[in-house]
Amino acid sequence: MSERAVTVPAYSEAAVIEAAVAREEPDWLLARRTEAARAFDASPMPTTQLRPWKYTDVSDLILEAHLPATPAISIESLAPQGVFVGSISEAAVNTDMTSNVREHLGSVVLATEGRFQAANTANWTEGIYVHVPRGMSSAEPVIATIDASAVSAGSAIYPRVLIDAGVGSEITVVLRFQSSDAPLVVSNVIEMIADADSKIRVLIDDRWGTETREFTTARSRIGRGADVDVASLVIGGRIIKQTVEALIEGEGANSTIRGVALGDSDQHFDFVTLQDHIGPRSTSNVEIKSALAGNSRSIYYGITRVEVSAKGSQANQANRNLLLSGGAKADSDPVLEILTSDVIRCGHAATVGPVDKEALFYLQSRGLSRRAALQLLVTGFFQSVIEDIPGSGFAEEIEGFVIAKLADAEL
Amino acid sequence: MSESILEINDLHVSIADKPELQIVRGANLNIRAGEVHALMGPNGSGKSTLANAIAGSPAYTVDSGQILFQGQDVTEMPADQRACLGMFLSFQYPTAIPGVTMVNFLREALKARRGEEVPAREFLVELRETLKTLKMDESFARRYVNDGFSGGEKKRAEILQLGILKPTLAILDETDSGLDVDALRTVSEGINALRTPEIGILIITHYERILNYITPDFVHILVNGQVVKSGDFSLAKEIESNGYDPILAELGIAEEVMTS
Ligand SMILES: Nc1ncnc2c1ncn2[C@@H]1O[C@H](COP(=O)(O)OP(=O)(O)OP(=O)(O)O)[C@@H](O)[C@H]1O
Ligand SMILES: [Mg+2]
Repeated sequence: MSERAVTVPAYSEAAVIEAAVAREEPDWLLARRTEAARAFDASPMPTTQLRPWKYTDVSDLILEAHLPATPAISIESLAPQGVFVGSISEAAVNTDMTSNVREHLGSVVLATEGRFQAANTANWTEGIYVHVPRGMSSAEPVIATIDASAVSAGSAIYPRVLIDAGVGSEITVVLRFQSSDAPLVVSNVIEMIADADSKIRVLIDDRWGTETREFTTARSRIGRGADVDVASLVIGGRIIKQTVEALIEGEGANSTIRGVALGDSDQHFDFVTLQDHIGPRSTSNVEIKSALAGNSRSIYYGITRVEVSAKGSQANQANRNLLLSGGAKADSDPVLEILTSDVIRCGHAATVGPVDKEALFYLQSRGLSRRAALQLLVTGFFQSVIEDIPGSGFAEEIEGFVIAKLADAEL
Repeated sequence: MSESILEINDLHVSIADKPELQIVRGANLNIRAGEVHALMGPNGSGKSTLANAIAGSPAYTVDSGQILFQGQDVTEMPADQRACLGMFLSFQYPTAIPGVTMVNFLREALKARRGEEVPAREFLVELRETLKTLKMDESFARRYVNDGFSGGEKKRAEILQLGILKPTLAILDETDSGLDVDALRTVSEGINALRTPEIGILIITHYERILNYITPDFVHILVNGQVVKSGDFSLAKEIESNGYDPILAELGIAEEVMTS
């Protein structure tokens, strides 16, 4: 998987600014681009010495060898008047929304955090902005499709998502990512800001082609009594690295982070989670599940941190891996960092193993072939995430993908 | 003479993980179409082991002997193929499968049994009628397989599967245990409704109760992994009143306590 070392000039500070000027970006945004381009120069690629990157070696990934490209964005929204749902590049220059974008963009994920975040901040050209004013809500989920199918092979895309939910508001956003089977690098940054008593639900619906490598940083900042639920469904792609973090700042705030991944052949999944309890009496729940066929592998590394200030909090963290073939592999490392003695409950669990033999026999004893039984068992295993997927008919569609993928998987 | 449904010849079965532990040690059985057989025997005598071996459980190894279904040797056949041929085991302890609904499971099972897609409407009609026969609420179908079911509900769910799959051989491993009086009658009626001259039934039980509803043609006693005595319904009644000791004494058998 070694890369051609030919780099494109697009990543230099001058090129980044030139492109931003061509897009007629406002000065404040140009300043951020400059900062990000410099941060990109200054940030090394993460190495396997860093714990979150221990099992995902990106030393041979040269971002500068991948020309930044713009995915196609389409949005289905029935959100009421007053709720903004649209392209982030338009929102950044739109007079109504510019000040909101300016205030919140980069307030949760900083360009200076690392190379992928810097690359995204310098190079994003498309993405989604959702702004829900105080007290407003949308009954139907917003479905935003980020489609890289048409970009040229070997490109990189830098989708940027910003969701800010005002006090007492409520919104559900489905981010559907698509690509062709051509090589593609993706570096996502997803920022979620939940003001007091608001509720944000985000579903990351990965429908990548076979040669997509995704590196995502998704982070929420959760205010008093607010609730952020991020669920991720990973079926396609070659390397998927998702870091999903919650800064649970407000008193009584809640974070839910869930993910399911179905692997085959040499797919590589790497999930990193952080539940950072800062506010007192805050709650969190993490549940990451993978089912692995062929030679696929899954890595989980997650931290539950309960800060001194987070008295009376509750946290739960579970990672479950089903090995469907002899060649599949999973590593799991849930970590607790409890800095206060005043916690209600902190649980963590990790399992790696084959499917329950008795359940398999039970199904086979009713005539189901091993493959049909595994299709049912894996769909069942994923239910905890699939069963409350927003939008009608969507859960059935995902189940259909799972069943179809397992029809050809190496089991 | 009617067609043979199940023939067990000198079957020896051990635990797959513990090959030194042989549980069934030379069992013989012959069930013909239209017949109901009862298999009784003390706890640990190997009834469930025999039943699971017949169903093709990979947890057990057939060391020697044969299992013939309708004359076909199925001893080495995988469980799913046996089921597709028409063999069915109602488990003593049905496994819970969280996340998998009864309705999805039953649809897949029926599809496998028939070897073709079953039209959705036809399936639902079939499901609804069978639920009704067994006095089960329709909401049952939306629950996860055996997950959180009470003991009696699990047994009813087994018979629900039996009713939908309509096997040629039904082995009922203590289906009567855990059922209240009314449920036992309902379940027995459900089983009787499926009885035809074409099918064979093997009822594994400790009690005469169920046999009053589904009258057996033959009763067999399994001790130490062997059928030591066979008779008619009166044998079950004899056991109900006197236990196994008189029979063991008469045959000069000491019941072994198996150690695992
Ligand atoms: N997987 C196993 N591992 C170890 N021992 C086993 C296993 N399965 C069965 N046995 C042993 O084999 C013996 C027979 O068990 P089996 O379940 O067949 O008895 P049974 O006749 O059905 O008893 P019951 O009337 O209590 O249901 C018992 O001693 C049991 O402990
Ligand atoms: Mg038993």
